[in-house]
Amino acid sequence: MLVVTRKRNEAIIIGEGIEVRVLRVGRDGVRIGISAPPHVPVNRAEIYELIRAENLEAAQSQAPAPVLADNLRQLVSAARS
Amino acid sequence: MITSALRTPVADLLPEDTTPIRVKTRFGDFEADRRSLLEFPAGLPAFEMCRHFVLMESPSIAPFQCLHAVDGPSASFLVINPRLVLPDYRCKLSPADRERFQVADDAPLLWLVVVLLKDSGEAFANLRAPVVIHPERMVGYQVMPHDSLYPMRYPMVSE
Repeated sequence: MLVVTRKRNEAIIIGEGIEVRVLRVGRDGVRIGISAPPHVPVNRAEIYELIRAENLEAAQSQAPAPVLADNLRQLVSAARS
Repeated sequence: MITSALRTPVADLLPEDTTPIRVKTRFGDFEADRRSLLEFPAGLPAFEMCRHFVLMESPSIAPFQCLHAVDGPSASFLVINPRLVLPDYRCKLSPADRERFQVADDAPLLWLVVVLLKDSGEAFANLRAPVVIHPERMVGYQVMPHDSLYPMRYPMVSE
């Protein structure tokens, strides 16, 4: 991991068009401004990790097909009622 | 009868490739029109290498749909319109996400949520991180609005 020291209003450039700037340094946290091209998603790491784990589980669920179909029908009727 | 849910108008300009994409998933076998390919420039979290998906529907799983990756590691997801799970579901794109989609405020977008099926038979909808698709540009992202209060596991069937 690259470690650099930055002061308030100093920034780091990553690749093409990604800038991470320190806006404020407080006692409990650092406020950071990120500019990135539109196609680059910027997310808080802890939220992203939660969604990753959730997607992995959703994609790997191996509920057997007949059970799955039954569940679906139940859900469908629940959704429509 | 099996159909793909969306078609891209842009691909109409390309030379036609009529071989359908054949897809086997846990939710059934599907055939998808090549022109229904959706681009996910960032993939989905945990499936960042999957950049192209097809959204497929069939009577056997309706009103669910199957979102299936056609490149990268094999991945298929059961998805549903969040309003069928929670009728007053309301979620706004952040300004940054709107910019990613390059959409006007009132452009119609397709909102879907990923369904998690447990072996126990329980099912949960991820209302926290909806999959949003721009139907005209055929581009999609899974967004995670910072201020959303919806849970990641919203139980779909109350026991």
